[in-house]
Amino acid sequence: MIKLPLTYILVFLALVTLRAEQTKFTMSAPGAVEMGQQFRLTFTINERGSNLQLPPGLTGNFDVLMGPSTGQSTSIRTINGQTTTEVTYSYTYILRAKSEGEFEIRPGTIEVDGKVIESNSLKIRIVPAQSQPQTQQQTPRGGEQSTQSVDLGGDNLFLRVEMSKQNVFRGEQIIATVKLYADPNIPISGFDEVNLPTYEGFYTQDIEIPNQINFSREVYNDRIYQVGVLKKTVLFPQQNGTLTINPFSMTLLVQQRVRPRSFFDDFFSGIQTVRATVTSSPVRINVNDLPPQPANFYGGVGNFNINSELSSEDVTTNDAVTLKLTINGTGNLRLIRNPELKLPSDFEVYDPRSTENVRATDNGVSGTKTVEYLFQPRFEGDYTIPSIPFAFFNPATGTYVTRSTPEYTLHVTKGTGDESATVMSSRRREDIQLLGQDIRFIRQGSPMLRMKGTTFYGTPLFYSIYGGSTLLFLALVLIYRKKARENANAALMRNKKANRVATRRLKAAAGFMKKNENEAFHDSILKAFWGYLSDKLGIPVAHLNRESALEGLRKRNVNEELINDFVEITEQCEFAQYAPSGGSEARSELYKKAVSTMSRLEKQIKR
Amino acid sequence: MVSAKVKKYSLFLFGMFVFLQVSAQDSIQVLWEKANAYYTTEEYQKAVSAYEQILNSGQESAKLYFNLGNACYKAGDINNAILNYERAKLLAPQDEDIEFNLRLANQFVVTEIEALPQPFFVRWRNRIINLYPADAWAGISIGAFIFFLGLLGLFIFSRSSSLKRISFWFGILAVVISGFTFSFAGRQKEKINQRKHAIVFCPRITVKSAPAQNSTDLFLLYEGVKVEISDSVNTWKEIRLSDGNVGWLPDSCIVRI
Repeated sequence: MIKLPLTYILVFLALVTLRAEQTKFTMSAPGAVEMGQQFRLTFTINERGSNLQLPPGLTGNFDVLMGPSTGQSTSIRTINGQTTTEVTYSYTYILRAKSEGEFEIRPGTIEVDGKVIESNSLKIRIVPAQSQPQTQQQTPRGGEQSTQSVDLGGDNLFLRVEMSKQNVFRGEQIIATVKLYADPNIPISGFDEVNLPTYEGFYTQDIEIPNQINFSREVYNDRIYQVGVLKKTVLFPQQNGTLTINPFSMTLLVQQRVRPRSFFDDFFSGIQTVRATVTSSPVRINVNDLPPQPANFYGGVGNFNINSELSSEDVTTNDAVTLKLTINGTGNLRLIRNPELKLPSDFEVYDPRSTENVRATDNGVSGTKTVEYLFQPRFEGDYTIPSIPFAFFNPATGTYVTRSTPEYTLHVTKGTGDESATVMSSRRREDIQLLGQDIRFIRQGSPMLRMKGTTFYGTPLFYSIYGGSTLLFLALVLIYRKKARENANAALMRNKKANRVATRRLKAAAGFMKKNENEAFHDSILKAFWGYLSDKLGIPVAHLNRESALEGLRKRNVNEELINDFVEITEQCEFAQYAPSGGSEARSELYKKAVSTMSRLEKQIKR
Repeated sequence: MVSAKVKKYSLFLFGMFVFLQVSAQDSIQVLWEKANAYYTTEEYQKAVSAYEQILNSGQESAKLYFNLGNACYKAGDINNAILNYERAKLLAPQDEDIEFNLRLANQFVVTEIEALPQPFFVRWRNRIINLYPADAWAGISIGAFIFFLGLLGLFIFSRSSSLKRISFWFGILAVVISGFTFSFAGRQKEKINQRKHAIVFCPRITVKSAPAQNSTDLFLLYEGVKVEISDSVNTWKEIRLSDGNVGWLPDSCIVRI
């Protein structure tokens, strides 16, 4: 097992040593040359070589004016006590082009320790000779030349923003390079004021370039310029339509030789530093809107890959679980919103945390964006962590691409410990959580339709119920009234007649008394009283007995003495009916008493 | 022989009539179920047209308007949803579901109107009137009236003085209740028939100071707002907002509830 890393280390070391011993053989020449101008083609090698062969076909396009002139440089460095020696050998040829155009210089070869080594290949552009200063330089005219100064405006000195693309989608990255173009004859001694462009409507990210501005030769509009790259920025358009990068300016310090007006002038101030302000021209970029966006589009434009990682699939309740989502690729990583993770609703979910590791290079912005979703399952069970679909727009193909993370199954077992128990119980007491709001569902069942605008109110039936019930009521009242009146009349009649009937019966009793008919006498007295009370008190004879009669009398406030008399008479009569006693005297006394009681009753009841 | 034929014929006609009536009722029931099924399967546009077909038969109900409102809401037509919820509310003023959905639909309305505060007695009265639709009030009124007649009878014929007293006061109470509920029923019926309110359907409309195109612009209204129609001149309607603002609108811009 230990062998494996050991061999790895050995291989690595060997590689390193190989690298260190590698011979570097390079060919270099300016990228652009004017027609008729001489230039150098230089081969450099870090080891002594022999038998240098010029690239094949070189002499067909170029005249070799001179060379090779060889050179050797040695550098010795001591770093931390370790000394390294580097020797560089160079072979220089001076060439001149035969015709205009773009030429490729194929690799040259050299032999090192019997091995043939190839250099790189080059491209050279030969542009027509036209500029005045150039010809001046080519045919130097001594002191006169130095008195001439190059015009600082127009085509000789200007700023330019170079865009990698002019027609883009919103969010697609563009690399903007701010370049200073200067005629090779203008000696720039420094920068005074630099106002770099403000990219309005863009999200920007700068590409790191060396602080020192290196000038290189470049052909622009068929002229050779020395070009300095001031700034490189990656732009992400944020608006649709035509975006304009406004002109910006900078001030340069340029050394100019001043024409001497007198002997003294020349003597004191031959060279003067002049401030030259250069301005760029506006640049327009056409930004197209993205096609209709799918649901899971979070603003990503570029080319991305995603993967995810779940911290653990078997957890106990209240454990913190992290789902880590990594998006890597090139594009507007910083502008991507956090993709949405739809977790079961009873999880405790914290805000996702995202970190970006982004690098801007000449190829654009690339790197990774990591989103961490932290959550705590509250209850035991098996849960599904759904996959996260992530759609982005690929400007190269002009289509949306969706990538998804896998689905996870989270197995939650019940955690032990009091802490979780209290959390759970407090959780249970919570109110209903509103997960969303929507209208209530439609009604089912019978529609209970009715003709439009019809109501029961106001229909004839409605009013007739009022009328009908009133009429019915009136009719009932009338009928009842009539019947009651009739009843009342009958009672009154009997009441009025009661006294007469009673007197008649008493008279009949008097007749029986005279005839000595004992039984008939008592019977008619009793009948006289009972009949009288029945009529007077309105109690039917069938219901009449002593108790009800007494009650009726007392109700009518007949005094107690009279009631006693009445009771005495009736008792006497009833008694005498069955046990005849006494003679005619007793009967006449009873008769007298009955008459007087009757007359007093009549008075008292009437009252 | 002839009379028998006529009899047969008329019997046939009668049968046809009954059949047609029944089949019309049947087809509406079928439509209703179909519309509900469309709603459940989220084919809201189809559900809307099915509910509207039922409405075109000249019949209505709070349930129908409620479901149609729901379908409109789901189909994204908020104006029609509000309109139908308001119509449903007229027929069933105290239905909680209608109230809830109407409130949700109104959240989409841009114009927010703060209603003028009404005196408490007006508020209370409206609240009481809106407890029931017209027919329920009518029924209560009739019930109270019959109860009153009963108490009157008791009052007239009762011998017991305490019973008389009780029936007297309750009778008066019953007749007062009957009168009030009668007027409530009248009011509810009036609301249904007059349809004084309307919903603005134009996405954005300038309310004018007079019924003329070149009159002064008063204020802007956005779709979905409920307004009260207070007057009418030609094709113009005077509207009143619940915050008291009054102005004129072309009537093509509003739909009566």
